[in-house]
Amino acid sequence: MAVGLVLDPTARREDDIAHAGPDAGSLVGKRVGFRLDRMWRAWDWISELWAEKFREAGAEVVFWRSAGRTGDEGERCEREYQAFIESIDVAVVGLANCGSCTGWTVRDAITAANAGLPTTAIATANFETFAHEIAARGGRSGLRVHVLPYPLNEQLKQDVLPIGEAHFEGVLRTMGASLAAREKAA
Amino acid sequence: MTIELIRPGAHRAAPVLKPLVSRDCGPEGCEIDWLASRRHEAELDIESFGRFAMAQGWGDGLPLVPPTDARVRTFLSSNDRYPDEVVGTLPGNVPCTVEKIVINAVMAGAPAESLELLIAMIASIADPDFELYGVNATTAPVYPAFVVNGPVRHALDIPMSYGCLGGVPGISAAVGRAVRLIMRNVAGQTAGGTSQTTFGSPGRIAGIVTGEWEEKSPWAPLAERRGVAGDAVTSFGTMGTMNVLDTTSHSASDFLEMVGKSYAYVGCNNFSGAVPFGEALIALNPICAEIVGREMPDIEAVQETLWKYASVDARYLNRHHRDQLDGQGRIRSDGRVYAAPEPKDVLVFVAGGLGGLHAACFHTFGTSLSQTKPVASVQSAAHSAAA
Repeated sequence: MAVGLVLDPTARREDDIAHAGPDAGSLVGKRVGFRLDRMWRAWDWISELWAEKFREAGAEVVFWRSAGRTGDEGERCEREYQAFIESIDVAVVGLANCGSCTGWTVRDAITAANAGLPTTAIATANFETFAHEIAARGGRSGLRVHVLPYPLNEQLKQDVLPIGEAHFEGVLRTMGASLAAREKAA
Repeated sequence: MTIELIRPGAHRAAPVLKPLVSRDCGPEGCEIDWLASRRHEAELDIESFGRFAMAQGWGDGLPLVPPTDARVRTFLSSNDRYPDEVVGTLPGNVPCTVEKIVINAVMAGAPAESLELLIAMIASIADPDFELYGVNATTAPVYPAFVVNGPVRHALDIPMSYGCLGGVPGISAAVGRAVRLIMRNVAGQTAGGTSQTTFGSPGRIAGIVTGEWEEKSPWAPLAERRGVAGDAVTSFGTMGTMNVLDTTSHSASDFLEMVGKSYAYVGCNNFSGAVPFGEALIALNPICAEIVGREMPDIEAVQETLWKYASVDARYLNRHHRDQLDGQGRIRSDGRVYAAPEPKDVLVFVAGGLGGLHAACFHTFGTSLSQTKPVASVQSAAHSAAA
């Protein structure tokens, strides 16, 4: 049996940021930005729920919704997103709940994290491993990913809101965030 | 919200033919190692290498040709490219070099003469507007389909007649497979890993590489209409192929009505409320094209007719789907939802056997936009040098 050398057909980036990036810390007085998309109403409902809790704690909350990412529309979207992340202190990026939308969620999260923002991507359980894999391929294996149950978007609002409620403390932990003012009062 | 129109990004406005390099020291004439890829020791018979490649995650399950130094260097030396030339950046911000293209082409069994076509194909799907990032990752079965224009069709014997979308013997399967291996090994697409494709597709083995039968077309070649005359390739992220049979129609408008209405099935991504816009690609057979061309010598009229019929009455959809499309502003004042934003977004080419009767529809994945890139040739390099 002849043995010889063959050339490796694969390529992969060599660099990696394995740490999670900065903690969000106390959210009081900070501007928290939620990245939404056009596909997942469940993520709209949960982000609105979490946003209200952030506001109650003294944070300012803003939203940005992703749209088409190609052509002239894509370039407009890119400019908008850059302006968005320059305007916030903390990024919460979702929702990784399908193939391409996990791709874009992670990509946008990496952009925010690379800009130095405390950043957390939100994924549903079925796409958790996938989100970590493409975060690693994107050069940030340590990207924070908070995981919501799956299936999620198929559920009614009355069933989704309790899930958001139940995950609030967990997402704070993933973000490395605290609601300091509320904690002091308690 | 209003209808979102497809407008090319500024960066893709003017595809430029990349001049071929000239060199006085080629892979065979140099002492230095031109190839930067890591070497692996492996048994070189087909069965053993196939098992080795599968274990490494390089393969698609079919036999692979071992990419030895000799094979890769021979492939390169038949062409006029430096191996470290970067053709495009693929998902994960990974540069795709000529060397990686050649190694995968060797494994796929593609001939050395296909390198410039392969480079143009990779450049097309690496364009940000092709959105390979989404194409790679999606739950959809999408894969690139390529339409080749210009004399290179004949030089490489790219099929454009009987069986051109798959099954006809020739180099298309190997060239298409090389692209698919590059998508796996360089762009990182693995089903269940970085690709969440629910079902996949037989097209994810060798893709689609077809020529346009320009000589049978009443209209200018597809690539020329998109601003690239001569040798060129157009990529389209397709969900597969959908056949349309029409044994009944006589007139251009009747044929196009049948094709357009058939294109418009509500479960395709073109009608998804999750997709803000998408293109359509349709292949007309030469017999049908001749009939259509007699009545409609302007391709714009063909596109407009297909566009008009490739639509559905919004009332046909249930409330949830209708509401989501309405929220996107995609229900027009006439109460209809259109597969593509404008007639110009319905791309048409001529191909297929002379038995006629059938058209082929290609549905979009979503906002992945078709790309047309020039295919360089040694001849054009010689002309550049002479100039």
